[in-house]
Amino acid sequence: MSAIAEDVVRIATVAKARGYWGTVLRRLTRDPVSVGCAVVLLVIALAAIFAPYLGLADPFQGSMIRRLRPIGTAGYPLGTDDLGRDMLTRLIYGGRLSLVLGLVPVAFAFTIGTTLGVLAGYVGGLVNQVIMRVMDVVYAFPSVLLAIGISGALTGGILNSLISLTIVFIPPIVRVSESVTTSVRNLDFVDAARASGAGPLTIMRVHVLGNVLGPIFVYATSLISVCMILAAGLSFLGLGTKPPEPEWGLMLNQLRTAIYANPWVAALPGAMIFIVSICFNLLSDGVRSAMDVRS
Amino acid sequence: MQNLVRIAAVASLAFAAATSAALAQSVVRIGMTAADIPRTLGQPDQGFEGNRFTGNTMYEGLTTWDLSSADKASVVIPGLATEWAVDPNDKTKWIFKLRPGVKFHDGASFNADAVVWNVEKVLKQDAAHFDPSQVGVTASRMPNLRSAKKLDDMTVELTTAAPDALLPINLTNLFMASPAHWQKLADAVPASVTDPKERAKQAWDAFSRNASGTGPWKMDKFVPRERLELVKNAGYWDAKRVPKVDRMVLLPMPEPNARTAALLSGQVDWIENPAPDALPQIKQRGFVVYSNEQPHVWPWQFSRIDGSPWNDVRVRKAANLCVDRNAMKDGLLGGLMAPASGTFEPGHPWRGNPKFQIKYDPDAGRKLMAEAGFSKDKRLKVKTQTSASGSGQMLPVPMNEFVQQSLAECFFDVELDVIEWNTLFTNWRKGAKDESARGAHATNVTYAAMDPFFAMIRFLDSKMAPPVSNNWGFINDPEFDKLVAVVRTAFDPAERDKALAALHERSVDEAAFLYVAHDVGPRALSPKIKNFVQPKSWFVDFSTMTMN
Amino acid sequence: MLTYAFMRLLYVVPVALGVSIVCFALVHLAPGDPLVSVLPPDASAQLQAEMRAIYGFDRPWPVQFGMWLWRALHGDLGSSIATGRPVVEEVTRAVGNTVMLALLAALIGFAVGLLCGFLAGYFRDTWVDRAVTTFAITGVSTPHYWLGMVLVIIFSVLLNWLPAVGIGPGGWAWDWEHIRHLILPAVTMSVIPMGIVTRTVRALVGDLLSQEFVLALRAKGLSEARVFRHVAKNAAPTAIAVIGLQFGYLLGGSILIETVFSWPGTGLLLNNAIFQRDLPLLQGTILVLAMFFVVLNLIVDILQAAIDPRIKRG
Repeated sequence: MSAIAEDVVRIATVAKARGYWGTVLRRLTRDPVSVGCAVVLLVIALAAIFAPYLGLADPFQGSMIRRLRPIGTAGYPLGTDDLGRDMLTRLIYGGRLSLVLGLVPVAFAFTIGTTLGVLAGYVGGLVNQVIMRVMDVVYAFPSVLLAIGISGALTGGILNSLISLTIVFIPPIVRVSESVTTSVRNLDFVDAARASGAGPLTIMRVHVLGNVLGPIFVYATSLISVCMILAAGLSFLGLGTKPPEPEWGLMLNQLRTAIYANPWVAALPGAMIFIVSICFNLLSDGVRSAMDVRS
Repeated sequence: MQNLVRIAAVASLAFAAATSAALAQSVVRIGMTAADIPRTLGQPDQGFEGNRFTGNTMYEGLTTWDLSSADKASVVIPGLATEWAVDPNDKTKWIFKLRPGVKFHDGASFNADAVVWNVEKVLKQDAAHFDPSQVGVTASRMPNLRSAKKLDDMTVELTTAAPDALLPINLTNLFMASPAHWQKLADAVPASVTDPKERAKQAWDAFSRNASGTGPWKMDKFVPRERLELVKNAGYWDAKRVPKVDRMVLLPMPEPNARTAALLSGQVDWIENPAPDALPQIKQRGFVVYSNEQPHVWPWQFSRIDGSPWNDVRVRKAANLCVDRNAMKDGLLGGLMAPASGTFEPGHPWRGNPKFQIKYDPDAGRKLMAEAGFSKDKRLKVKTQTSASGSGQMLPVPMNEFVQQSLAECFFDVELDVIEWNTLFTNWRKGAKDESARGAHATNVTYAAMDPFFAMIRFLDSKMAPPVSNNWGFINDPEFDKLVAVVRTAFDPAERDKALAALHERSVDEAAFLYVAHDVGPRALSPKIKNFVQPKSWFVDFSTMTMN
Repeated sequence: MLTYAFMRLLYVVPVALGVSIVCFALVHLAPGDPLVSVLPPDASAQLQAEMRAIYGFDRPWPVQFGMWLWRALHGDLGSSIATGRPVVEEVTRAVGNTVMLALLAALIGFAVGLLCGFLAGYFRDTWVDRAVTTFAITGVSTPHYWLGMVLVIIFSVLLNWLPAVGIGPGGWAWDWEHIRHLILPAVTMSVIPMGIVTRTVRALVGDLLSQEFVLALRAKGLSEARVFRHVAKNAAPTAIAVIGLQFGYLLGGSILIETVFSWPGTGLLLNNAIFQRDLPLLQGTILVLAMFFVVLNLIVDILQAAIDPRIKRG
């Protein structure tokens, strides 16, 4: 077993020398699915960022007589919403807030959570117990209550959502990363590395993190869509995004009673969340495969 | 042998007839908008939807509302009291004569002792049966009532703190629960519970699951948060109002789509407040939609503190003229709204004859704004606080955005501060000067307008400013105060109506609020339900309907 | 192992205490009036003060907290302000309803998730993998309550096969009439856990299968079944962690799904309590739920240690 462990350590070191991330990027660009998803996400993100320059209708201008027009109406390519506002515009502008609300909390939670989880998993003992038990306390909290409590201190709606959602996602990521770390830590090649004189930080960074980031990354990217949906739930209750700001989750909620009148238009914001989530998930799978030097 | 066969045949026929008669019990299943069953112990919570389903069904007050007509305004009529009058020598004392021959569901008789007991349950803090949880919804609606005294078995004397002509109207909110039944339940509380307040609490909890009032419906089955089943009270004192339907099942369904789906799939026969966008589908499937103007107002309540942009009456009037209420009604709400031109509409005895006609006239509005010094280049910034949802708020966000866009055409720049419903409600009590208002110049809290205090006095009387009551904007107008004083001392019903009309006239002429809409209480019923009348009231008489 | 389990059990106490303190603090910090459900908006200041005194809200926070904690330790969680019913009863009933939903949703979600995850991981980068992954990703990417509404429209309104809302007539019973009510909400709730479990297990299994020592094991001639056992044993701890987390969320009740289906569970109860600022109900419910999660995490930790004794956290 130890001979193979040495091989693994050698291969990993050699791969590092060749430029690990360069390899990852090259492998990624050869995968059509990943490239496709990356392109879609880029288009949506760019459209959202440069929305004011795209010559679109005003996302806030509505008209009572033109409510819930179907897709393909003259002048309103994707129809109008429940207040007569152009859907295409609102979907594009909505991307700004939705992408931020989906990505930022997960990104922060991922960073903070992985750090805490790996630390707890690797060090073990009292540190582990303290971190995990504090996470238990935070985990027990319904996100709605957290958001309301925070809204007392801050008045900003979006900041409110971002903070509560980040806090809500930290415990699960900590638990998963701690769990993976604890398993990996006891694998033989880690012992081998330790025996060969590598310091704990190096081991954590090179070996543990390499094995741990994979599953956690996958878990975290699955959370992006859940995050967007939770943000929508919060804004629906009057916390978080406030109307008339366009944001996919909020639009989905506001249009839900329109499902009987014009189901296709009502489904559009949901479709956007769907497309973005799928692209993130597929892309993360692709990155995951590319990062896997061993196969 | 043949006899046996004949007997068997007759017996089985009789059995079949009996079971089919039992099976032919008519049941109406109703989907309510409340998230939980309103309290069943006599004083309902959840606002007037509570009164509608667990108040006026199982219980009654000394006075009640006339719910028989869809065209006439709903007024106060005798309930468990047959007549009443104020003592001409001491206007704080009222004599009420009670209706004879009325029994509670548990068989006990209704009499003066029962009335005194029910008054004390919310007013006498040291009474054994005092219930603090019922105080809030009752005492605030009868702010002047102090005590009750039995004069004889069928006569009661009620005392108020100050002369108050509105007492009979307020008494529609005090429901009579059975003292005998409560006492039986209180005695059954285990002896290990020694604290009298705790005993009372447990007795009331038991009462809420095993209720006894005098109303046309009796409680049959109660599963908290899931369902309440009421059956008809065949022994009800008014034979004309014994229900024609045998059983009513009440189910909480707070989500509008869920209610619509439940109706369309046949899981319920009646839903409250269908989503406006679902109406075409509902009507297409053959369901009948009832609606009628309700005593309810959807307004912007203006702040009148120093520095408020709404202090100029021209600005207030302009705002009222710049909202196209019909477009809101037909375009946004699928017809489910009655445009408001005041708190009361023409035909109501308290409407009066206001000179200022509230309607859609943007040119007149812009002229007034110009006179006040505003124009396309010099716009007026105003901020309004509202909520994302809430009982009675109708569709607050779309409606406010509509108003925002409408007022933009009259040189207003409206900023909306959308907050959570509970917070908005709490802020309402605190007033425009409080920091919770966050600099808002108006608040959008809807209100019931069934009785004069709720409809006008608490907003227009300067003494009703926070923390006393809901004069959120601190209206301080000696004329209003004078008119309110006249109302309070007009004991003759005709005089009282005239005084209330005068108060209302002034509130419209001064454009005290931005009056936008009245809710119409829409509900969708199965075509199998007939003989249902929807009055101009929050409440409904469930006794007249029949079910095929 | 037993020492480990015992030590973990001891930690339950400080966690529960921590949860109750934070919960108490958050609820009191939130703007809004705890008496809003019993005090209408036009209540006078005097009435408000009286009511506050009667309900004990005029006492300093530490005193209120202490009294509540003392009673809670004796099994008395107080009464809901809005309904007057004992909190213990409200919570028990709601938890019972949610547990039913959670169990069925967990069964569907985890069984299908594990199966799909293993399939995808074993047959990585083949059509099996792609098909399964697409299926799982679709589940995770769809707004689940919207899916619920669509399912209701299809199966209740249009086809009339299943009921649209509610838990069934007159309380729960184990008959077809009641199980019909359980199907749509459970399926809706299972979609996200199914997707997450599939993806995570796929990643774990794929990783493990591609490690050098697995190739070595195969080269040595170990049967597929033994390799599978090896993979399963190594994947189990993390898979259990993820499943435990998802089960925790299911138990907490999804407010959105319970609203769509009018399912009287903990999500709806908690949401109502939050909006009515019904402090006793809120504190009691959160405490009970927190204890659930704590015990759940405890079980997950112990299971992990049992399956793979090399996992030493101490």
